[in-house]
Amino acid sequence: MRKFFLCVASVAGAALACPVTAQTLSSPGDSLIDEGYAQSAVLTGSVEKITEDQMNKKQVTNPLDAINGRVAGLTVQKSNNGVAAMNAVRVRGTTSLTGGNDPLIIVDGVFGDLSTLSSIYPADIESFTILKDATETAQYGSRGASGVIEVLTKKGSKGAASVSYNASFSINNVYKNLNMLKADDYRTVLKNEGLMLIDKGHDTDWQKQIQQTAFLQDHHVAFMGGGDASGYRVSLGYMEHKGVILHEKMRNFTSNMSMYQHMFNNFLKIDLGMFGNIQKNVTSVYDVQKTFYSAACWNPTFAPSKNEDGGYDGFTYANQINHPLALMDSRTQDKTVHISTHGKLTFNLSKSWHLSLFGAYSHNEVETSQFLPTSIWAHGQAYKGTKKTESLLGNVALVFDRHFNEHHLNVLALGEAQRDIYTGFFTTTTNFSTNDMGFNSIQAGALTLWEGTGSYREDPSLVAFMGRISYDYLGRYSITATGRADGSSKFGSGHKWGFFPSVSAAWTLSEEPWLRQVSWLDNLKWRVGYGLAGNLGGIDSYMSHNWLQPMGIVPVGNAAAVALGTLRNANPDLKWEVKHTFNTGLDASFWSNRLIASVDFYTSKTTDMLYLYNVSVPPFAYNKLLDNLGSMRNSGVEIALGITPFATADMELNINANVAYQKNKLLSLSGYYNDYYLEAPAYVDIASLNGAGFHGGYNHIVYQIVGQPLGVFYLPHCNGLVKSAEDANAYIYSIEDLDGDGVIDIANGKDRQVCGQAVPKVLLGSNFSFRYKQWDVSLQLNGAFGHKIYNGTSLTYMNMNSLPGYNVLAKAPERNIHDQIATDYWLERGDYLNFDYLTLGWNVPLSSSVTKYVKRLRLSLTVNNLATITSYSGLTPMINSSAINSTIGVDDKNVYPVSRTYTLSVSINF
Amino acid sequence: MKTKNIMILCRLLCCCCVLGLAAACTDFLDEKPSDRVDGDINNINDLYLNAVAARYADVGGHANSQGLQGTGRGVYDLNTFTTDEAIVPTRGSDWYDGRLWQDLYQHKFAGLDPIGDTWNYLMKAIMGCNGSLEQIDRFGKTHPDARLEAYRAEVRGLRAMFYFYAIDLYGRVPLFTSSAPSVADLKLRNRSEAIKYVVDELQQAIPDLSEAHSNVRGEYYGRFTSPVACFLLAKIFLNSEVYCDDDWTDGTRPDGKNIKWTVGGNVMNSWEACQYYCGRITAAGYELEVVFENNFLVHNEASIENIFTIPMDKYLFQNQYCYLFRSRHYNHAAAMGLNGENGPCATLDALRIFGLKEGDIEGTGPDVDPRFVKTYYSGQVFDLNNKQVLLDDGTPLVYEPWAVACDVSSTPYEKTAGARMKKYEVDPNGTKDGNQSDNDIVLFRYADVLLMQCEAMLRNGQAGAEADFLLNSVRSRVGAPDRTATLENVLNERLLELAWEGWRRNDMIRFNVYGEEYWEHPRSSADIKGYTTVFPIPGEILSLSGSEQNPGY
Repeated sequence: MRKFFLCVASVAGAALACPVTAQTLSSPGDSLIDEGYAQSAVLTGSVEKITEDQMNKKQVTNPLDAINGRVAGLTVQKSNNGVAAMNAVRVRGTTSLTGGNDPLIIVDGVFGDLSTLSSIYPADIESFTILKDATETAQYGSRGASGVIEVLTKKGSKGAASVSYNASFSINNVYKNLNMLKADDYRTVLKNEGLMLIDKGHDTDWQKQIQQTAFLQDHHVAFMGGGDASGYRVSLGYMEHKGVILHEKMRNFTSNMSMYQHMFNNFLKIDLGMFGNIQKNVTSVYDVQKTFYSAACWNPTFAPSKNEDGGYDGFTYANQINHPLALMDSRTQDKTVHISTHGKLTFNLSKSWHLSLFGAYSHNEVETSQFLPTSIWAHGQAYKGTKKTESLLGNVALVFDRHFNEHHLNVLALGEAQRDIYTGFFTTTTNFSTNDMGFNSIQAGALTLWEGTGSYREDPSLVAFMGRISYDYLGRYSITATGRADGSSKFGSGHKWGFFPSVSAAWTLSEEPWLRQVSWLDNLKWRVGYGLAGNLGGIDSYMSHNWLQPMGIVPVGNAAAVALGTLRNANPDLKWEVKHTFNTGLDASFWSNRLIASVDFYTSKTTDMLYLYNVSVPPFAYNKLLDNLGSMRNSGVEIALGITPFATADMELNINANVAYQKNKLLSLSGYYNDYYLEAPAYVDIASLNGAGFHGGYNHIVYQIVGQPLGVFYLPHCNGLVKSAEDANAYIYSIEDLDGDGVIDIANGKDRQVCGQAVPKVLLGSNFSFRYKQWDVSLQLNGAFGHKIYNGTSLTYMNMNSLPGYNVLAKAPERNIHDQIATDYWLERGDYLNFDYLTLGWNVPLSSSVTKYVKRLRLSLTVNNLATITSYSGLTPMINSSAINSTIGVDDKNVYPVSRTYTLSVSINF
Repeated sequence: MKTKNIMILCRLLCCCCVLGLAAACTDFLDEKPSDRVDGDINNINDLYLNAVAARYADVGGHANSQGLQGTGRGVYDLNTFTTDEAIVPTRGSDWYDGRLWQDLYQHKFAGLDPIGDTWNYLMKAIMGCNGSLEQIDRFGKTHPDARLEAYRAEVRGLRAMFYFYAIDLYGRVPLFTSSAPSVADLKLRNRSEAIKYVVDELQQAIPDLSEAHSNVRGEYYGRFTSPVACFLLAKIFLNSEVYCDDDWTDGTRPDGKNIKWTVGGNVMNSWEACQYYCGRITAAGYELEVVFENNFLVHNEASIENIFTIPMDKYLFQNQYCYLFRSRHYNHAAAMGLNGENGPCATLDALRIFGLKEGDIEGTGPDVDPRFVKTYYSGQVFDLNNKQVLLDDGTPLVYEPWAVACDVSSTPYEKTAGARMKKYEVDPNGTKDGNQSDNDIVLFRYADVLLMQCEAMLRNGQAGAEADFLLNSVRSRVGAPDRTATLENVLNERLLELAWEGWRRNDMIRFNVYGEEYWEHPRSSADIKGYTTVFPIPGEILSLSGSEQNPGY
């Protein structure tokens, strides 16, 4: 549960947070020992808890896969379909322009980031708790502004020792590729067009050439047990996932150990835990776009093999892409070693007073190696680098918790300090005479002295003090007030500290005498809260001072020397970005929890928003300055429903659905920095097209425009295809003169218009699960609606001008478009409904002779990514639509082929 | 009872902890970086390195728009691809770049990113010089040293040079000498005022500058020395009709004969002043290299002709020279073991000035200037082992100089149109696709001085044998027949001699032909009004300083 600190007596929290099943777990006194900054007596904010039953039953790689679609307002999106792709996670959308939009991840009290989750084997997770609004995240102050996901791993418990073993075996297979011109059609079209044909006589489907059928296997074993005063649990997990692109492979070895012990007649409880992993990723995809662009467009008459000289045939007409098999010879390998250890002492000083001391140390090391052979990089290039992150965290918390008749008071005081140490080094060499040794012998390349070699160290620190008071009367009226002060080393003096208060209240109407008689109403509660949260995710260390760093090599006499200088503008006035959130919600359950509903409305405003302004040179030495000017609003409604139409001993149907409606508006990006008025340009591009003929110019697609939602499409309007003036058979995009000045000018502010947003307005997650005796079926559907996708892939691959260098789609000759101006012609609706997975499970009935040894045996069959219903014409509508970065909303030759995974799983408990 | 005591104790402990923490906080939250340092300088060597030598990091560059030459989308491109010298044709899906290159060639300058980026680069370089001068002053207060005057002069000279480029490109600039200028300092000054400041700065710096030849390896290698300052002054005086004209839209310019300068204690007109500094450079021992190509060799540090260069060494420095790389055809580059981008090439105007007749693709006709084959790859090409370069389909690569146009997409010569850049010797060991080589980049050289002197004489009414001699000394070095020194011949000669060296825009403006109609360059109304002789100024500084944009933008 919640995080490290000690906890308060009563409710372990989360309680009815989870509308999906609404099991109110008010584990009593026991939870004293649970982690967490003490949960307040009654939950007054917006929190959702997902326990094991509610997690997705599909084949998962990352723990986040297990909750995708299960929580309203939580978006989990993979950056691509590579085996080791990182997830982009947003809780209630994007609230900052510069960073810190990832939620805080807390695993058993240890603070981490999204990558920390890789060190947890999904089956080790007891529960996820998602804190969404400021009154709940306030307790994490600066780091909780973008939501908090708390992961609690399973612990040993009192009872007989047990062992569990889970395994799954999967096959992942591509089922959808782009339909490019086949070799014969390519020849015919080139002849008809009168273009130079370089014909090597083959008929190669390059997309298939770089693909493979992938096998995946997962194994997990856990031992646990415990007695009256202590418990333990140890698990080992191993995953080996191949990808659908040649040579792609991810291996992850995880381990999780925890134990607790009560001492001195429960006066002291000691918790110790350790989790870690070693993950190795190998891929031949060093540049996602280049790989898939090349595979789609490479000349299909070329041979899928090396030539007699031992190299790959080049094709100079296509200099933006490479021979796809040459690309497959590149290797990028990451090895991550992560270890976290943590310990906690909880002193039950008296019935009402509890003191806890928590300490954690994490060490994370990522070694990246890359080799680009001479066939794709002029003289070859090898890179090897290591990044280390160490994190030390400690806190002290004192809790007072007491019932006075019908009053319940809970007070928490907390002090916390954290220091992170980031270090790293890397080196790059080039001029390889052989490709045989790759990055394992970087000395086979000549070292380049200055470039590509470096090291760094940063050690930001953070201190926080927090106080919280919760009060509850009669179990009906409760109020919680939190005040938290955070100080960070990243700010200049005078700006280090931020104060983030919050207050929230709840009224449990169902406990009122006048409602208690209503037999069909189990629970009805109204919550309301307002709070502030700080964010410094967009700020690196050392940004408030003009420190000098190596800035260039200059001749000094006949030698060369490294000169020092500043590399960016410092801003001594940087301060906390602040998010103000208002949240109100209603939780209800009816007919013995057959129907559970929860509705939340929130609105948040980010102020002092960090943004990298374009500033004038002079007075600044560089043309970018990070400053706290600007604001943004996010608001939304979240509805969750859980319905159990029937539930008998033999048969049960559960339907869960959650819908989130989200809205975002960029309010302002201007203000004064000292005497200088700073203002963001009216139109700032976020995502643009790349590839041949798309360098520079008017290829920006997704913009940030003040007064609009973040990430809007701002494009010229195409009013259809017209015949080209030069070639009577060719078509070009006809552009409308939107500003009516008689001139077609597609520059910003001219013939362009806002025509949709990249982030969905509505997100849907729903699950149907049906059980009949030992058999069960679960189907998960996720959907997103109200957004658009720019099909840059089709814009590029439909352009007949790309020939002969770049192959085109099979349907391109018929349309005969000789143009690739980016207009709204290829802007499509992005709505989709995805059948995320379908699982069929069988709890094998065991005879009593077997149950002596095997307590439970379950077999299941799962299909991941069953089907997608969409009108989008590209490979898949499930591209980045949540993280505001250079890929948002744009499908630009960088989409992994669409694949399906079939999994057979077995789970045994001894 | 016992529990209570423990409780109190714990509470006390807790309070102590919190108080202790609070006290420790201030220290705990201070940044003490170990991978960077603060700016305190305590010895003269560090001062030289970080306040003087460091400024040369802004002379060359290795990223777009950085450096005076060698990189793309910067000073050089603005001075070259806006003229009748060279063009980057759109080649199908290559080199369209949002019409950038076509817009540059046709003088549609509004909104082009490289123009703002180049401003930022030059102003950053000036800011760096201001910071260095403040550093030298600070150091001088506690560490008096005889060398500081020379350091100060060197940095002032560099700053004046960056100002020269900024004034030449943008017309109006803010004149500020602080590294933290106030809003009032940011007011854009008239061009004449700005150029006079630059002249003053250079003249004041010269006495403290070394006389050394900066292009030669040694203590002053790559540095701003007295001949470099003289070259800049000569260049400014030669262009003084342009630079002293604060209204470039009225169709008139002041007469250079009436613009007076104080030079060496004497008052001179612009042409005399130009000749004076040309003479000083000659007196400093510069000569034409006997062999034209010597100036552009992989190891060209021994040139007696080069005055100011960007030192290049692929193993020592970062500076890049991408112009050969981006010009040559892929297969041509590959044949030399390097890479290419198949971009820039000569315009038809350039071919005609070089004396090629329509259809002559090898440039071997009788009237062709001998420098054509030294400056361009045209027709068939051969690799470093004299093996013919072939296309993918096995046919020979033939550059088609006459097939070039603003847009050659979908023509048979889409990839082969245009005569490509040669001039610099290929460094077969070049790294970074051939972007890093050892040829020092030539910024200023003596042949230019002779042509400037010749032109100044002609403009001063001194046509005759001496001017003819100056022109023909440049021509005869490459075996070109003598010509009479006329302004037209000088303008043409400047292209023949200085093609690919980044002077064409400056020359065309001075000769008032930049806004004329020429091949593939229609004369726009902005050209007619003279707007396009300067580039637009970035909006950020206009709004900050309350200054007006240059007319026409």
